Amino acid sequence: MEEKKQKRDVLQGTLALMVLKTLDVLGAMHGYSIARRIEQISGDLLAVNQGTLYPVLLKLEQEGSITSGWGVSENNRKARFYRLTRQGRKQLQAEKHDWDQTAAIIDRFFAVRAEDLK
Amino acid sequence: MARTEKDEERLRAEIEAHIALQAEDNLRAGLSPEESRRQAILKFGAVEAVKEEYRDERGLPSVEALLHDMRYASRRLRRCPAFTVTVVLTLALGIGATTSIFTLVYAVLLKSLAVADPAELYRLGKEARCCYWGGYSQENEFSLVSYDLYKHFRDHTQGFRELAAFQASTSLLGVRRSGSAEAAQGYPGEFVSGNYFTMFGISAYAGRLLTAGDDQAGAPPAAVMSYRLWQQRYESDPSVVGGVFNIDDKPFTVVGITPPRFFGDTLRTNPPDFFLPINTQPLLGAAADIYQSDNSWLDLIGRILPGANPASIEAQMRAELKQWLRSRWGDMSANDRAEFPEQTLFLRPGGAGITSMREEYEHWLQILMMVTSFVLLIVCANVANLMLVRGMERRREISLRIALGAQALRLVRQALAESILLSLAGGVAGLVIAFAGTRLILHFAFPPTSGMAAIPIDASSSMPVLLFAFGVSLIAGVTFGIAPAWMTTRIDPIEALRGASRSTVRTGALPRKTLVVCQAALSLVLLAASGLLTAALRHLENQDFGFAQDRRTIVRIDPSLVAYRPDQLTTLYGRIQNSLSSVLGVSDVAICQYSPLSRNNWGAGVWVDGRPAPGPKDDVSTSWDRVTAGYFTAVGTPIIEGRGISDLDTATSQHVAVINQAFARKFFQKEDPIEKYFGQTGMGTSRQYEIVGVAQDARYLDFDLDHPIGPFFFVPEAQHDVLPTGKDSNPGSHFLHDILIVTRPGASVSSGQIRQAMASVDPNLPIISIQTLREQVAGTFRQQRLIAQLTSFFGILSLVLACVGLYGVTAYNVGRRTNEIGVRMALGATATQAAALIIRGAFALVAIGLVVGLPLALAAVQFLGSQLYGLNPYDPAEIFVAVLTLGFSALVASLIPALRASLISPSEALRTE
Repeated sequence: MEEKKQKRDVLQGTLALMVLKTLDVLGAMHGYSIARRIEQISGDLLAVNQGTLYPVLLKLEQEGSITSGWGVSENNRKARFYRLTRQGRKQLQAEKHDWDQTAAIIDRFFAVRAEDLK
Repeated sequence: MARTEKDEERLRAEIEAHIALQAEDNLRAGLSPEESRRQAILKFGAVEAVKEEYRDERGLPSVEALLHDMRYASRRLRRCPAFTVTVVLTLALGIGATTSIFTLVYAVLLKSLAVADPAELYRLGKEARCCYWGGYSQENEFSLVSYDLYKHFRDHTQGFRELAAFQASTSLLGVRRSGSAEAAQGYPGEFVSGNYFTMFGISAYAGRLLTAGDDQAGAPPAAVMSYRLWQQRYESDPSVVGGVFNIDDKPFTVVGITPPRFFGDTLRTNPPDFFLPINTQPLLGAAADIYQSDNSWLDLIGRILPGANPASIEAQMRAELKQWLRSRWGDMSANDRAEFPEQTLFLRPGGAGITSMREEYEHWLQILMMVTSFVLLIVCANVANLMLVRGMERRREISLRIALGAQALRLVRQALAESILLSLAGGVAGLVIAFAGTRLILHFAFPPTSGMAAIPIDASSSMPVLLFAFGVSLIAGVTFGIAPAWMTTRIDPIEALRGASRSTVRTGALPRKTLVVCQAALSLVLLAASGLLTAALRHLENQDFGFAQDRRTIVRIDPSLVAYRPDQLTTLYGRIQNSLSSVLGVSDVAICQYSPLSRNNWGAGVWVDGRPAPGPKDDVSTSWDRVTAGYFTAVGTPIIEGRGISDLDTATSQHVAVINQAFARKFFQKEDPIEKYFGQTGMGTSRQYEIVGVAQDARYLDFDLDHPIGPFFFVPEAQHDVLPTGKDSNPGSHFLHDILIVTRPGASVSSGQIRQAMASVDPNLPIISIQTLREQVAGTFRQQRLIAQLTSFFGILSLVLACVGLYGVTAYNVGRRTNEIGVRMALGATATQAAALIIRGAFALVAIGLVVGLPLALAAVQFLGSQLYGLNPYDPAEIFVAVLTLGFSALVASLIPALRASLISPSEALRTE
């Protein structure tokens, strides 16, 4: 049980970061194109459960990182468009910094060979 | 909820757009239209799961999720009605019992008077004091005042918007509607100052209430009637307002009716039906209290001005008290003067009125509240036990759900929802039980007198009571639900694959055993408490009262209600005695001011002739009674020495008194009291009475039952306490209240015969009540009996619940250990050994319960304290009986499962393997 929940939380955290970055790079987008974008870049992360994106979008909106409004998609469908806020941009920078740091530390650990510790 | 629907709608639209966009892409990629949409939906994933997560993300999912859980829970409970009904009824008992006691607690201890802004009211006195206080000094605090002192306070104290005075007791008034032929009827009335209703800020239901103008000497006599009497006796007849009523034979105009919920300034068993201006008091009866500034008989309540400081008003009134007392220096006795420096007063919040009932019943209510909380705990333990059993049955289902990905939190929430739903249902059913229970308790504790107002406590639920019941239900629901809910999270999903019957874990056994131990412990406490209270009651009832109870009937009258003058009374009593004596079966008739345990008495000081005057700190207090000749024979109290009151004691003969043994001990120690003299109005009267006899101690007072009988003296009705000034100092004492009728052995006299005989003397003389002396004595212990019975009832209830719990656990054990017992028997164990195995298990639990419960019981019975009337709270016999009762009941509860264990056939047990 515990394990499962943790996995989901990690997934959600990663997903949120991807959403923020996608909106940062590509500007306002609707849910489906965010999903496609993430799918293209991340491969299988969203291949099965694209729906999980929506709770994440809501969460980000509630935190104030993104805003949303109804608009019309490229092929004339009513869709909800999401856009990064200033706060979201700041959060992205902060999280990118954290991520880089974590990644660097983990990298160093993987780089260590047994003889280095002697 | 509106927001929720909007969010749901938004999500639905987004999902639709997403799937449509994906389907279009799929179509472009070359799939068929149906396939495009199917693939799109597949790729989106589980819509319901997303919705769920989306709702969780919305921050406040609780209301809706809770409703969802509740719906699910109610569906599940409906599927097993037997379980649901059992649990709801058990809970209803516990919640109902607690709520019904809380209804009383609220009415007696917490509630304010039904008046405007009760928080602005302040009353004189820390403690309620009844009802008269003579002299210019009061013990501890000046809490009752004379009319003169009231006027002094009223006219000089700043900071009160209104300061009202009212009689500390009520008077029985003989009331007859002017012009009607009916006999006068007795109703309680109260003298109040003219601004009494203005001070309370209430207005009349009909007509008008009293004003300052009504409360002046010479004003036309006006009275206000209670809504209760107007409605019940006069059927809300509008002509009552403005009508003339004869009160104690004097015409009064009823100017108005009080509002329905107003019962006066004091919560009491018989609230007043008439409010009369203080200044009409001289019209009624002989005792004109308002002219005597050394006679304190009024309580005070004032409404302070907005922003006024009660502490500075108090200080101001203290100064005024001293000032007033100084102005009375010439009237004051030596004792009063000696006590002068200590005289003080206290102002206290008065929103609840005069709280004599609170002081009297607080401890009882605390005991009952404790008892019912214990019952509720036991009920919770029992229900928790049932829930655990149910949890065991649902293990398979739950493990399957966990395996399928149900969240642990969600499962706990659902389990809790179920228990809260049950407890709320129990609470609703409990309200019904509480209403019935409160009515029953009120009926037995304060039996209604026909024609009189009942105690103004409403058994139906008020808002605070409803809130209490709701709170208790919620707490109970969480209390008994938490363990079973927690158990669900500990279920291993792998169990679903194993099959429940082959379960290897024993989960549930320990919590269930713990619950049974708790139940046993709590039951022991209740059993010990009820045993002690019952023993104390027996002790009280079986004491030597010093008078005979059999074949004696008390007829209560009040000649002052129909304006008899003191000089007519001796003749009246003679005629009553003659008339009643001629009734067939009556052997003896005597009349007294107060019969034993009639809930009233007069007090007096004693000044013994030939002794130095007692100092201010010397206790010279006694109680006294005025009786007709032959009283002691009639009441069955032996005369130890000398003689009783006889026909020889006439108005003109030497004034005499008969004292009781306690009086002799207190004032004469080893001396022979016969032919000694004493008086009750100061040293100057010390030759007032000659002692002619000593009667055996008899119990007259009902409020000091845990003390030895106090000093008492009896004086003849025929003799008046005439002071040297020629004035009768106690004219009121000649209005005797109780006629004592003794019937011949084997004979019986009906109340019809008594009424007929009384009517032949004076048809207008109201008979207030007729009851046997035995009933009167029993009435004294009514509340004690009720408490003992309630505690016993709850004790037995808790014992039954504990036994059901023990039975459940034991039976479950037998089921679980069938194989083991089968093997044991196959290896040569006897049936007795198998049974013993089970009984040992059950008794181990009870034994732990006893070990936990004994110290708890010892701590709890200490709380009973004074309610045991001197009985040792650690009475080993009572504790032993409680232990024995619990042990025996446990044996009975475990006998059936044990019997079943002994009947296990080894071959059969092993075949099920």
